[in-house]
Amino acid sequence: MTATLALVFGLAVLVVRRRSLAIALVGAQSLAIGVAAFGHDGELVVAGIVLAVKAVALPALLLAVMRRTREPRLVAAAAGPLVRLAGAGAAAGLAVAFTPDLGTGDLHAERAAVALVVVGIAIVVARRPALFQLLGLIVAENGLSLLAVSVPGGLSYVIELGALLDLALVVVVASFFTRRIHMELGTGDTDLLRTLRD
Amino acid sequence: MTELAVATPLVALAGGALTALARTPREADHANVLAAIVTALVALALAVAAIAGETASTRWLYVDAASGVFLAVIAVVGLCSALVSPIYLRTSGRSWFTAARSRRAYYAALYAFWAALLAIPISANLAVVWLVVEATTGASALLVSFSGRREALEAGWKYLVLTTLGLSVALLGIVILAIAQAGLGAHGLHALGWDALTAAPLPEEETLLAFVLITAGLATKIGWAPVHNWLPDAHSEAPAPISALLSAALLPTVVLVAWRVKDALAPPAADAVFIGFGLASMLIAVPFLWRSLPFKRLLAYSSLEHMGVIALGLGIGGRLAIAGVLLHVCGHALAKALGFYAALPLLRADPDAASQPLAGVAAPTATAIGISLVALSGLPPSPLFVSELLIALGGIEAGETAVVAVAIVALALGFLGLLHALLTGLLDEPRRRSRRHRSYRPIIALTCTLGGGLLALTAASALLPGSALVEGLL
Repeated sequence: MTATLALVFGLAVLVVRRRSLAIALVGAQSLAIGVAAFGHDGELVVAGIVLAVKAVALPALLLAVMRRTREPRLVAAAAGPLVRLAGAGAAAGLAVAFTPDLGTGDLHAERAAVALVVVGIAIVVARRPALFQLLGLIVAENGLSLLAVSVPGGLSYVIELGALLDLALVVVVASFFTRRIHMELGTGDTDLLRTLRD
Repeated sequence: MTELAVATPLVALAGGALTALARTPREADHANVLAAIVTALVALALAVAAIAGETASTRWLYVDAASGVFLAVIAVVGLCSALVSPIYLRTSGRSWFTAARSRRAYYAALYAFWAALLAIPISANLAVVWLVVEATTGASALLVSFSGRREALEAGWKYLVLTTLGLSVALLGIVILAIAQAGLGAHGLHALGWDALTAAPLPEEETLLAFVLITAGLATKIGWAPVHNWLPDAHSEAPAPISALLSAALLPTVVLVAWRVKDALAPPAADAVFIGFGLASMLIAVPFLWRSLPFKRLLAYSSLEHMGVIALGLGIGGRLAIAGVLLHVCGHALAKALGFYAALPLLRADPDAASQPLAGVAAPTATAIGISLVALSGLPPSPLFVSELLIALGGIEAGETAVVAVAIVALALGFLGLLHALLTGLLDEPRRRSRRHRSYRPIIALTCTLGGGLLALTAASALLPGSALVEGLL
C-alpha cells in the first residue's frame, strides 16, 4: 500500500503544473514512507527525525523558497503530461524488469523503490523549473528510503541520519541556487541556463 | 596513526572555523594561510606514514598505501589552492555573496570541501564514504558558482543536480549490498565495511547489479564519459583554485572509491567496466582537445582524458599498470593544478581568455601554462609519459593489446591537440597588452615548486614498479 502510494505521488509530481501542489505531493510521499518506517525494524527516534525533516522541514523550506520566487507565468513544459508519464513509465518498467529479486521478502516494495528512483530522475530530466528538479532529487531519495525500510534488520542509523543530513544539505544549497537563478533570470526556468556549450 | 587519521579532516574543519572568526578580510587571509599550512602538514604526516608501509584498520578508519598517495595529493593541491585563494579573492570582483560575507563564505566552503576530501581515502566503510562524497557536493557546488555570474550558476546547478542524481544511483547499489549482507546475517554499518564486503560470499547477481550501479553513480562524480556533462562547465566556471581542487583532487579521490569497490566486490565484469569507462573517456575527450577552446575548458577536457587513463590502468591491473596509476594520479594533480593556477594571472591580464582560446600569453604565465600542458600531453620528461608507458606495458603484459592500441591512438591525438593549443597560445598576437605592471611572483613560485615536483616524480618513477608500495596494493 505504502509503496503504491509513494509511486503514485511520484508520478503525480511528473505531471502537475503548480509548484505548491508538487511540494505537497512530495511531502505526502515522505510522510507515507516515514510512517511505514515506524512499522519496521530500526530505531524509532531515527525514524521520527527522518519523518520530521523530510515530511515537514524540507517541504516548509521549499514552500518558503517558492513564495520568494514568484513565477510571472507557468513555465511551459518541453513535452505534454501524457508523454512525460509514458516516458517515465517505460523507463521505470525497463529498470524494474532488469532488477532481480533483491531478497527483502517484499518484492512489490523493491520494484516500487527502483521505479521511484527512475521517476525521480525522469522528473529532473522532464521538468524545467528549478524547484521541480529539486523535487525530483527528493523523489529519487524517497525511492531509496522505501528500499531502505525493507532491509531486514533495518539500515544502520548512521547511514540513515547521514543520508538525511546530506539530503538536507543538498536541498538547502539547491534552494540558494533556486533563488539566485530566479534573481538572475526572473524565472526558475532552467531551460534558459544553456549558454555553456562546446 | 589512528589519532593522526582522525585529526586530519578535523584540523581542516577547525581551519575553516578559524577563518570564520576573522573580523576583517585581511585577518581571514592570514588565518587561511595558517590553517592551510597546519592542515597540509598533518595530512602529509599521515600520508608519509601510510606510504612508508604503516596501516590502520578499525571500524571507521582504513589507511593503506593507496590512502597515503591520495592524501598526499589532496594535501598538496589543497595547500596550494588555499594559498592562492587570497589572490583570487582580491581580484575576483563580483561574488554571489555580499562583500562582507564573501570571504568567510568562500573559506568556510573551501575548508569543508577540503576536510571531506581528506576523509574519503581513510574511511573504512562504503556507506560512510558515500556520505562524505555526497557532502563534497554541497560545498563545492557553492564554490563553483561563487562568482554569481549566470554561466557560473548554470555550471553549479548542473554539477549539483547531476552528481546528486548519480550518487542516488550509487546509493541504490549500496542498499542492494546491505540487503545481500543482511541475507547472510550481517547487519548494520559494519556489514558495509571494506573488509566485510571483501570477505562476504555475496550472491553473484546482486553483487554485479550493485557494482554496476555504484560504479555508474560514482562515474558521474568522477566525470567519466558518457556521464561527464557537468565537468567542463564546472571546471571552467569555478574560481581557479577550486577548479584545481576539483580536477586534481576530487576526481581522482572518487576514482579511489571506485577502485576500492572494484577490489571489494570483484565481480567478473569489473575490469571490462573500468576499461570501457577509460577508453570512452579518452576517445570522447580527443575532439574537444583539438578544438579552439578557452584555456580552462581545455584543461577540463584534459581531466576527462586523464581520468580515462586512470580507469584504464585500474581495469588492466597488475604490477606495471597499478604503478602507472599511482604515478599518473600524482603527476596529473601537479600538472593540472599548475595549469589552473596559471589561469589566475592569465584572466587578470586578459579577461577575454575566459571565453576565448589562448593568445599571446605573457612570459611568466606562458611558462606555467607551457609546463602544465607539456606535462599533461605526456611529453618526456613528464611523469605522465612514464605512467602512460607503464599502463600500456601492463596492458600488453595482461594480453590487452587491442585495448592498448586504441588507448595509444587516443593519447597521441590528445597530445597533438594540447600541443596545438600551447603553440597557438605562445605564438599568436596578444589580444591586449597589460596596461600596468602585475606581480607574477606567486605564479613563478608555483611554477618552480610544482614543476620541480613533476621532475621529482619522473625521477622517482623508476623505483615504483616492484616497490613495496605497489606490491601492497595488488
